[in-house]
Amino acid sequence: MSLSKLIKKDFTTFTWVLIAMAIVLNIVVGQLVSLLKLPIFLDSIGTVIVGVLAGPWAGGLAGLLTNLIWGLISSPVAAAFAPVAMAIGIVAGLCAQYGLFKNWWLAIIAGLIITVFNAVVAVPIRLYMFGGITGSGADFLTAYMLNLGKDLFGSVVVSVFTSNVIDKVVTAVLAWGILNALPKRTLSRFPRLASTS
Amino acid sequence: MRSDGTTLYIEGSSPLHSHHPFGKLALVLLTGVMVYCAPGGWIPDAAMLALIIILTAASGIFPAVWKFALRTILPLSLFMLPIHGFLNPDNHTPLLTWQSMTLYREGLLFAGMILLQLTTIITASLIFVFTTHPADLLSALKNTGCPPSLAYLFGSPLLMLPAMRTRINTIQSAQRSRGLDSDGNILKRIRALGPLVAPLVLGAFSEIEQRAIALELRGFRSQCKQTSLREVPDSKTQQILRWLMVLTALLLLLYKVVC
Repeated sequence: MSLSKLIKKDFTTFTWVLIAMAIVLNIVVGQLVSLLKLPIFLDSIGTVIVGVLAGPWAGGLAGLLTNLIWGLISSPVAAAFAPVAMAIGIVAGLCAQYGLFKNWWLAIIAGLIITVFNAVVAVPIRLYMFGGITGSGADFLTAYMLNLGKDLFGSVVVSVFTSNVIDKVVTAVLAWGILNALPKRTLSRFPRLASTS
Repeated sequence: MRSDGTTLYIEGSSPLHSHHPFGKLALVLLTGVMVYCAPGGWIPDAAMLALIIILTAASGIFPAVWKFALRTILPLSLFMLPIHGFLNPDNHTPLLTWQSMTLYREGLLFAGMILLQLTTIITASLIFVFTTHPADLLSALKNTGCPPSLAYLFGSPLLMLPAMRTRINTIQSAQRSRGLDSDGNILKRIRALGPLVAPLVLGAFSEIEQRAIALELRGFRSQCKQTSLREVPDSKTQQILRWLMVLTALLLLLYKVVC
C-alpha cells in the first residue's frame, strides 16, 4: 500500500475524536496530578496514548496540536516547544510498533527512549531561543553545571534529560496501564493494536 | 462572543480585531524570522517591539499584554541575568565584583539579547492570541480549503476543555473523600496516580465513541463544501499585506543563510 493509503488507514473518525480528546487530556491532567506534588507533569499522556493506539502520525499530530492550542489559550511559549511534543508522539508510536508497550518493564524502556528524543529536540530550541534557561527548576541544574565548567550545551542537555526522565517513564507506564484497562470493544477499533499486544 | 475564560481572546472592535487571522499569523512569522535573521543586532528587534507596542496600544489590549509579558519575562530575566552574568562560559570582561562573585559583560549582553528577542516574539504572538477568536481562526482555515477534520481538531478541544475541567474537580473531590493520601511518602503518592488519572482517561474514552458516532451522523467526512456560521472578512489590501510579510520573512531567511 502506498504511504498516503497507509496513513489514511490510521485516520478514522474515531481517530480524529481520539486526537481531540488526547489534546484536552494533555492540557488538564497536569492540574489533576499537581494534587500529588510529584515532580512530574504528565503533559504528554494523551500524546503517548494516541501514538500507541493510532500510530506515529496520529501521535505526532496530537502532540503538535496540543502545544499549538496550549499556546493559543495559555502561553505562546508552549507553542515554541510544539516540535518536542510532536517528536514524543512519533517516537511513542514507533515504540509501540516494535512491541515496547507489551508489558510494564518494556514500557519503562519506551519511556527512556522517549526521554532521549525529547532531549534531542528540546535542547536546540532551549539553547537557541531561550539561551538555555526557561525559568523552571531545571535551571538550577543548568547553573550548577555551568559553575562546574561545563559548556552551555552540555549543561542544558543534562538538565533537560534529568527533568524529563521521571515524567516520561511514568507517562509511558501509565499509558500501558490504561491501555490494559480499556474494554476490548474500544481496543478492537484500532487495527494497530493487534501487533502491539 | 464574550470571552468565557477558556481562551485568551479579549473582546474588542479595533481594526486589529477585525483583521484577518492569517495576517496576524504572518506578523508573528515575520517577527520570529526578523528577530533571529535580520542584520543590525538589537536595532531591528527594538524597532519591531516598538511597532508592536504601538499596535497593542491602538487596539486597547496593551494592559493585558503588559501584564502577561511581565508574568512571563520577569521570572525568566530573574533567572537569566544572574546565571549568564556570572556563569556564561564566554565571560571575559568583568563589570562588577562583589565578594568573590563577578558579573561579566558578555553574559549580561547575551542574556539581554535573548530577553529582547523573546519579548518581541511573545508580544507579537500575544497580538494574535488576544485579538483572534479561535472560532474565527477555524472559519479562516476552512475557507482555505483545509479539510474539516483538521479544523475540527483545532476547535473541538477548546470546546471540550470546560467540561473536562469540571470532571477533574469531581474526580479530585471524590478521591479525596475516599482518603487519597496526598501527603504520604513518595511511593504512596506514585501509587495514587493510577486511581486519579485512570477514571479521567477511561471516562474520556467512552465519550469518544459517542462523539465519533455523532460526527458521522453529521457528515463529518463528506467531501462537499460546508457553509460556515461565522464569516471572516477579508480584503485585497489585507491579502497583499500578508504576502508582503511572508515574502519579507523568506528574504530575511535567505539573507541569513547566504551571508
